[in-house]
Amino acid sequence: MKTFETSKGPFLNSKNKTSKMMLHLFIALLPIIIFAFYKNGVIPYRAGLTDIKGLLLPLMVIILPALTSFATEMLYASIFLKTDALKYVKNSFSFYPGLFLGLIMPLNTPFSMLILGAFIATLVGKLLFGGFGNNIFNPALVGRIFIITAYAITFGKYAYHNSYELDTIASSTPLTNASIVEGIGSYNELVRPYGSLMNFFVGTVPGAVGETSALLCIIAFIYLTVTKTIKWRIPVFYVGTVFIMAFIIGLFNDLERTYSLFQILSGGLMFGAVFMATDPVTSPTTYVGQALYGISLGILTIVFRHLTPYPEGVLTSILTMNMLVFIIDKIGVKSRFELKKSIPYFSTLIVILLAISCYIGFSFHKSNNTEIDPNFEIYSKEVTGNTITYMVGQKGYSSTLKAKIVIKDDNVISYEVLEQNDSYYSKITQANYLNTLIENQTKLNEVDTIAGVTFTSNGLKKMLNYTLEDYKENGNEEIKGEVVIDKDFEVLEHNINGNVHEYIVSKKGFSSKLKLNITIIDNIITNVVVLEQNDSYYNKILESDYINYLINNQIKLENVDTVAGATITSSSLKQALIETLKIHMGDTNG
Amino acid sequence: MVTGFRISSKKSMSLKNKLEEYLNPEYVYIPLVSGFDTNISVFVKKNDYVYKETMLGKRQGNFPIPLLSSVSGTVVGFEEKYYLNGEKIKCVVIQNDFKELVEKKEPVCDDITKISKDKFLDILKSNAIVGLGGANFPTFAKYDTDKQIKTLIVNAVECEPYITADYMLVIDHAEEILEGVNAILKINNISEAYITIKKTNTKMINAFNKYIGTFPNIKIYLMPNLYPMGWEKSIVKEVLKKSYERLPIEVNAVVNNVSTIYAIYESLKYNKPLISRIVTFTGEGLEKPINIKVKFGTLASEVIKKYCKYKNTNDLLFIAGGPMMGNSMKCDDLVITPNLNCVLVLPKLKQDEAIECLRCGLCVKYCPAKLAPVLIKNDCENPESLKKYEVNRCIDCGLCTYVCPSKIRVRDYVQKAKDTIRRENK
Repeated sequence: MKTFETSKGPFLNSKNKTSKMMLHLFIALLPIIIFAFYKNGVIPYRAGLTDIKGLLLPLMVIILPALTSFATEMLYASIFLKTDALKYVKNSFSFYPGLFLGLIMPLNTPFSMLILGAFIATLVGKLLFGGFGNNIFNPALVGRIFIITAYAITFGKYAYHNSYELDTIASSTPLTNASIVEGIGSYNELVRPYGSLMNFFVGTVPGAVGETSALLCIIAFIYLTVTKTIKWRIPVFYVGTVFIMAFIIGLFNDLERTYSLFQILSGGLMFGAVFMATDPVTSPTTYVGQALYGISLGILTIVFRHLTPYPEGVLTSILTMNMLVFIIDKIGVKSRFELKKSIPYFSTLIVILLAISCYIGFSFHKSNNTEIDPNFEIYSKEVTGNTITYMVGQKGYSSTLKAKIVIKDDNVISYEVLEQNDSYYSKITQANYLNTLIENQTKLNEVDTIAGVTFTSNGLKKMLNYTLEDYKENGNEEIKGEVVIDKDFEVLEHNINGNVHEYIVSKKGFSSKLKLNITIIDNIITNVVVLEQNDSYYNKILESDYINYLINNQIKLENVDTVAGATITSSSLKQALIETLKIHMGDTNG
Repeated sequence: MVTGFRISSKKSMSLKNKLEEYLNPEYVYIPLVSGFDTNISVFVKKNDYVYKETMLGKRQGNFPIPLLSSVSGTVVGFEEKYYLNGEKIKCVVIQNDFKELVEKKEPVCDDITKISKDKFLDILKSNAIVGLGGANFPTFAKYDTDKQIKTLIVNAVECEPYITADYMLVIDHAEEILEGVNAILKINNISEAYITIKKTNTKMINAFNKYIGTFPNIKIYLMPNLYPMGWEKSIVKEVLKKSYERLPIEVNAVVNNVSTIYAIYESLKYNKPLISRIVTFTGEGLEKPINIKVKFGTLASEVIKKYCKYKNTNDLLFIAGGPMMGNSMKCDDLVITPNLNCVLVLPKLKQDEAIECLRCGLCVKYCPAKLAPVLIKNDCENPESLKKYEVNRCIDCGLCTYVCPSKIRVRDYVQKAKDTIRRENK
């Protein structure tokens, strides 16, 4: 007879581990963090719009609150719990509340606000409830709501923009923008200011640091579902509900597909659905519960987005539903034995869903008047007799158009573009598009855009249209202002020495100005020296010996190819030579 | 959808060695218990001589299953030994005279398919045929029903890791088992039978396939390689796509373990009572893991001493049953009974310290009984709120503890909840 110690079964250990799930979560977040860094740091930095501090800003916004959470738990554990603080934070995955908070904050949040927010998220959202596993509300969202209420501000219009977006996108975030348009808006109002829906999908639209890319959220969702880390039903039902409701709302306004996609792709819905709504601690554990939870979140999000002044609905929806998880799980438990017991709950939600969609669809009529585009701006308006001179600007996706429009006797008599940055602008000139616009000024809607330069031609059309509207509405009320026209091409110096002409010219290049010294002897360019440039791909120009190529082909410059990889710079070089020659010919001839 | 979890099988360990037999212990200890029912009428006293297969006692009440002697010899008294639930239980101790003397028996019927239904029930009853899968439920009771049995399901899933007792039996006796199934179908007028086997268990599938052509009404049904796929409810759900509340007969089905079928076959063919079975002795704590045919009442300690040997280490666990549902025992004085399919000796395993529950819902997701263990855990001492959780549906499969990423002993809490309810009902 042999005796043994006893223990309780099962006597096998699975490889499932909370730490492993948390690691999966982090792996899923990694591409999102990298993208946040790329979009908000690298792109503006590469465009020369920000310094090294701006480059690292997105990482700071994410890391700082994560560290704050960690520190808060360390302090709390060692002071109040008097336990092994390191072990405590290890088992409570202390970084996450701050990390998530950082990802859902605007880029330009003051650091003090981030730190305080993460502190509150961790302390109030998590520790005071009893720590990891015991909190009712999603800690990161507690921190977020604290920042919103305590600071009593809505972030400024451009709080979410990185410096690149600041330059290219005049509108605030898509949802804020959507909340100020009349009705539910049109494609041009909702999506156009940001490019296309593809930009929403990929994530190159203004928004909280980590939540703009729907694509990466979907990839994360797949990864987390395959690794059995999250309750996949929640995001599916959540996003699905928002999609269906937005589709119905869109139906009433002939915007079904655009609007449903717009709704699911904006405002961090995907991020919230995949990462925040599935927070295991604060979401239901039963399948039926998870489905009910997801549908309810969808309904609330649509309601909050449309019927409250606060444009973002994800955060408030999740916090609201967090409170009901307890009850939802009870329904879930009942339905596990008999699925039909869940039917009344699902039916009720579906009725509510349909009713609310129809109500919103009816009450938000599509706006027919052309709302003034937030990308349009009148810099100045001068009245001399019956002549009115407008200086106007229209921000496009990748550049700003600036123009001078002269109206005389209610008619546009001149339309002159002062600044543009479209490398294919020559197509506009070739088509004599500006004259077409002037000729058709009473029926601008009928003027087509030009293929290849759709965006710019559309911008030019809009700019004229808005100017005319302003004229009709405000007549000859003057607007004083200064236009800083960034001259595209300028002759800075012109030295003549016999038949040798030396021009120092500047021309807009890729991300800065090019400065060239061009020597012309007897109407022939003999030498071109680049004095200044700032294109990181300039070596491509050097490699291809492009400048000599231009000199050799100077009689047919219009037909010379650009350099792949440095298209804009090479095109600018070419244009500089063309324009210098033009001026030179004019000078010498006249 | 049938739920379950893939667990590494660890079955190869006990398959390395051939099937052994140990049928001549010096003493047998027949516990006075049937299943967990200890209301047994005892018919013998000290110094009585008993033949092999003599009735020593009988279960009282609705299931009058006899307790039979597994050897011939003298009753030397009554002694307490360990039963597989970890408790000590009174046993009849018989000293073996190694003569294997048997009382005269009725002649064997040649064509077992021609046996009448009443006779069939009688044979099962008198030969003490009970479920060998672990439940110890009297087999005759499953067939003694007014309802039409439409399907017989043979459970050869053996889903718990380490255990290979059923497998060993099938490899040698596939033909007899099929004959047994065929006889049961004929006798009870059942139209079809399914033999459920894990789809990964190709050797067992092949063993049956060799003979199955003769029996058009018997089909093999491949089961997913999940635990606890061998649970009656899961099998019925998987095969018939139907759920029942208490017993499979509600959906016109009978489920028998494959070893039970073999016992039925032997009882029909040879009038041979159930007094022995194959038990898997395995685990990383044994020098030589084996399957062995042993008589009921044999002590597990003797088998280990003679055949398996403990590994030379002090930190061992002695488990009656499989790794998921078995009980850790204080002592290896364990009597072999029909419901013991495995003796598992494992090195004491490092159990990770439990951390807070993160409500991931895995225990809910995988619970085959559709419980919500995480919620039961939170309310395990509150009889009022426990009511709606229907805790008594729990089958102790242990999957909730196994899958828990926070390493919480979830099943312990569910068992605590069961106790709470039991106390409340008293």
